[in-house]
Amino acid sequence: MATVAQNSKLGNVLWPALAWIIAIIFFFPIFWLVFTSFKTDADAVKPEFLFFFTPTLENYTNMTENYDYWRFATNSVITSTFATVFALVVGVPAAYAMAFDPSRHTKDILMWMLSTKMLPAAAVLYPMTFLTKNALGIFDTHFLVILVLCLINLPIVIWMLFTYFKEIPKEIIEAGKMDGVSTWGEIKDILIPLAWGGIASTALLTFIFCWNEAYWTVRLTTIDAATLSKLIEGNRAPEGLFFGRLSAVSTAAIAPIVVLGWFCQKQLVQGLTFGAVK
Amino acid sequence: MSKRTLPRILQTPAVVLLLVWMLVPLSMTLYFSFIRYVLNSSIRPEWTTPALSNWRGFGNYNYVLNAKDFWFAIQNSVFIVSSILILTVILGLGIAVLINRSFPGRGIVRVLLISPFFVMPAVNAVLWINMILDPVLGLQGLAVGGLNDLITGLKDFPVLGGFFAMWPTLEPISFRATQTSAYAVIMMVAWQWTPFAVLIFMTSLQSEDESQKEAATLDGASPWSQFINLTVPHLARPIAIVVMIQSIFHLSLYAEIEIVSRGNGNKNLPYLIGEFTSNNIGAASATGIFAVILANIIAIFLLRMVGKSLMD
Repeated sequence: MATVAQNSKLGNVLWPALAWIIAIIFFFPIFWLVFTSFKTDADAVKPEFLFFFTPTLENYTNMTENYDYWRFATNSVITSTFATVFALVVGVPAAYAMAFDPSRHTKDILMWMLSTKMLPAAAVLYPMTFLTKNALGIFDTHFLVILVLCLINLPIVIWMLFTYFKEIPKEIIEAGKMDGVSTWGEIKDILIPLAWGGIASTALLTFIFCWNEAYWTVRLTTIDAATLSKLIEGNRAPEGLFFGRLSAVSTAAIAPIVVLGWFCQKQLVQGLTFGAVK
Repeated sequence: MSKRTLPRILQTPAVVLLLVWMLVPLSMTLYFSFIRYVLNSSIRPEWTTPALSNWRGFGNYNYVLNAKDFWFAIQNSVFIVSSILILTVILGLGIAVLINRSFPGRGIVRVLLISPFFVMPAVNAVLWINMILDPVLGLQGLAVGGLNDLITGLKDFPVLGGFFAMWPTLEPISFRATQTSAYAVIMMVAWQWTPFAVLIFMTSLQSEDESQKEAATLDGASPWSQFINLTVPHLARPIAIVVMIQSIFHLSLYAEIEIVSRGNGNKNLPYLIGEFTSNNIGAASATGIFAVILANIIAIFLLRMVGKSLMD
């Protein structure tokens, strides 16, 4: 326990050492993925090259021929970016109204929004396929993926923004009203500059969720709008034929997000627990 | 414009979008669950259109409830979710307490620990089932092979060789098999979500009342009894929240199950719905309604907890 550690010299070495060992164990699979990505496919499955091998970049340079990586990556970037932007465009005014001008129903509306997030996606799999394929004809389009990603993240966006906006003193906004600033002006000139940090971290976290989404992006696309989730799921590589190249494309798919994630650990707590743990 | 209208206008787009998103597909599912509706049928072509004349009442629900796969999927969902919960909460508590004090390199330890959470599910599954758990080419296979070689080598040892000769040859485990694929999924998801539990518990530990602990130390309370009597009650709410949020996420696991064994011996409700959807839409929809009910039961508890802290 922590107190034991504080009281003894041995504990001062032992507990941090244990923490380091656990952290290394947890990170090891990611390290191994990156490590394997520098081996050729042939070397990757040979025990004699387990730790010592001639590193190569060929898996990365061949990513375009092997997997058409950049097309999927571009789709991921486009859909995640636009979904995040739209979610903010819809979410900021809604959260603004709820935080600064709450009515009796605000709490219920927020709760209801959260409850939409909890519906199991699989339950509406066929209706979604039917609607987008047969009725609307938007199956496998960027528009559809952006719309769906925006909608599944909208409740979290509004919640996060709401908890950030609540921290801003109401008087500042009221003062703007007195000076005859329009609502749009209030949002643009007072709220956004004040809550910039909160809005940025909401955006960052939403982007991460969009990027990693693996149900709708796989189920509602075939080729044109397919994202990296679809690419990886489609190349699950049986029997270790392509460990090297698969590691490289997987590394390329997760690297931007893992790095981005390091910067928003705090927001993650707030975003995923809907402000219930602070 | 009156004082009330403007906020309403600002909320409208969000409310309308979410309302449509929730109501339209869900009411279609509800409707399909009461009719006979299949995608292909040469014998009964009239069932391939979602017409009201194919009304079946609760027939689809009956069919689903009597399907062996359904009960297996429910059992398996519960087994997977509860195993992951037990693992992540215990590991999360231990690790959070361990890193809740400052030591050299704590920042790096935190970064290393949190990383698995940001790995996309498809990559997580591909990485674990191939490069780590594969019985021949993965690290598991190589480790078992290495151990066997070591034991064989030791058998030639004088005197002690006789002892090692009694050791059996180790067999690697195939995690794509019917009995074991659920374990693979549990392992990889627990790996991914333990960081989440750690993060939540750590955030909460930082708001723990230190003076209370100091008083307990002065009163001669052992560190263990401090942990049980002070820290665990303080963490009760975060634990409940971790359990419920994870339940909601893990009840809809899909990519991992698909990649590990294509559902072989390891279906959950979303996977079963996916399988029904390839032809029997009626059954898929009825199963979907069951999944919604299950998720709602958990969601109600979660919403209550969140609601309490909402307006203070």
